[in-house]
Amino acid sequence: MIRTEGLTRRFGDRLAVDGLTLEVREGEILGLLGPNGAGKTTTVRMLACLLAPTGGRAWVGGHEVGKEASAIRSTVGILTESPGFYKRLTLERNMRYFAELYGVPDPRSAVQRYLERLGLWDRRTDAVATLSKGLRQRLALARALVHEPKVLFLDEPTAGLDPESARDVRRFIAELADERRTILLCTHNLTEAEELCNRIAVLRTRLIALDRPAALKRRMSGSRVTVELGNPRPEFARDLGLPCVRAAELAGPTLQVEVADPERDVPALVRRLVELGAEIRAVARDERSLEDVYLELVGGNDAPA
Amino acid sequence: MHRLRVLILKEWEELAKIKMVIYGALFLPLLMGGLAGFMVWQGQGLPPEAQAALFNTALMYFLILPVMIPVTLAVYSIVGEKEQGTLEPLLATPLTDWELFVGKAVVAVLPSVGLTWTVFALFLAAAHVMLGGIPSGVLTLPWLLSITVLSPLLAVFGVLVSMLVSSRTSDPRAAYQFSGLAVVPTLVPLIVYSVQMTAVNLLLVILEGGILVLLNAVLLFLAVRLFRREEILTRWK
Ligand SMILES: Nc1ncnc2c1ncn2[C@@H]1O[C@H](COP(=O)(O)OP(=O)(O)OP(=O)(O)O)[C@@H](O)[C@H]1O
Ligand SMILES: [Mg+2]
Repeated sequence: MIRTEGLTRRFGDRLAVDGLTLEVREGEILGLLGPNGAGKTTTVRMLACLLAPTGGRAWVGGHEVGKEASAIRSTVGILTESPGFYKRLTLERNMRYFAELYGVPDPRSAVQRYLERLGLWDRRTDAVATLSKGLRQRLALARALVHEPKVLFLDEPTAGLDPESARDVRRFIAELADERRTILLCTHNLTEAEELCNRIAVLRTRLIALDRPAALKRRMSGSRVTVELGNPRPEFARDLGLPCVRAAELAGPTLQVEVADPERDVPALVRRLVELGAEIRAVARDERSLEDVYLELVGGNDAPA
Repeated sequence: MHRLRVLILKEWEELAKIKMVIYGALFLPLLMGGLAGFMVWQGQGLPPEAQAALFNTALMYFLILPVMIPVTLAVYSIVGEKEQGTLEPLLATPLTDWELFVGKAVVAVLPSVGLTWTVFALFLAAAHVMLGGIPSGVLTLPWLLSITVLSPLLAVFGVLVSMLVSSRTSDPRAAYQFSGLAVVPTLVPLIVYSVQMTAVNLLLVILEGGILVLLNAVLLFLAVRLFRREEILTRWK
């Protein structure tokens, strides 16, 4: 649904996005993660035909960015980083304006459908100025959807919302995914990314990593297994003698073991420990949180390729 | 065409809710119309030549209106988008750069010309009643041309200046003052007319019209370059 090849954008001599190549499949939610200034918003703007790329190519819904801009704009819904409204006009009037600009066949009913869906119908005759930040964000989602776009760009949809409003917005995004819409979600919130996204792209000017959340975590957290013992003895660490074990260390009642692939190697490890007479109380894979993984990926001055 | 209409209607609906704009757009026509009417009222009972001279001066007020009215309208319709952060969502719609530009210009030009002509018609009616007829020899071709052709040209000039200025600042007051200043030169011919008490003649009208067409062409060229999506998103302050 979305495909980029070496997508690049410079501002003067500053590179904002460098050679981004990725693909978002139909019905997928792809999370775009990265620190401030990583180029997330710039990427979204290029894909929504708001900024011209300075290099590379991209396609959205089969239309090429830069060549078929108006076709792309009609297929795409965008929740911008700071979504503004005409604050003196009512919710309904704001929505109708955008519905009409998008050429929605029956603007009134489309507006009603989305105001109702986001729980804003009762407030339709209020001026937008009277809305709280959370309600405004919901209105922005309604606006992004009013022309039934197949592709959605959501730039930090829960930024600045209280936990409850943020949860409502996340639930709503999950519903959208069930409707087979393709979503590119920019976020700083890792729990959110993990909860909602099928895959995560970590961006820091260049693409640093792209994978499913679980795979990212596994890939980074590698291989540490912690075994809690009822009868810790030094030979448990010394005499393991398994080819898959790279290192083992006993500290108090816990044995830390580095293996090549925990998925495959833990059963053998446990079997061997039992043979050695160990009394095993618990075995835990040292799962790192997505946050640790993320920080490791974007940390450091030179982004690992 | 459809989107252009959508844009213009929303714009007017929004502008009508801004007190500054309403006062700004109504104050000047009322003031100028009132002044012009007052001059004619004073001319009651004077000899015909004196009446004609007064009438001539009064007519000049109607060339100030079209250039001054659009300033508030244009400033708010651009600065308003910036202040409220609506430009990006707007630019994400299929609206073309050209539609955005033309829409914003029409939003300010039409009411300005409309108001000018309305106040002018009211003035003529009032003068007709007070003087028992319009003094002969004043409503000549140069005057009629001024009102029908110069007014719209002046309105376009006022709008383009205000649009250019507004794209460069997000403070409506600064934009307003700056545009107001930039528009002052167009009043020079009027000041000359009224000091010299010369009647407007065809040559002057054609000259002023020609200069305005040229100025407008230059401003249009600049404005169209400024009203590109990318430019709006990255360079407008
Ligand atoms: N209009 C512009 N002119 C010059 N530089 C820009 C412009 N827009 C963005 N940049 C630069 O491009 C880089 C990427 O910015 P971008 O806004 O895409 O980052 P982001 O990932 O969205 O960050 P954030 O998390 O803060 O929203 C930054 O270094 C920024 O300074
Ligand atoms: Mg951003």
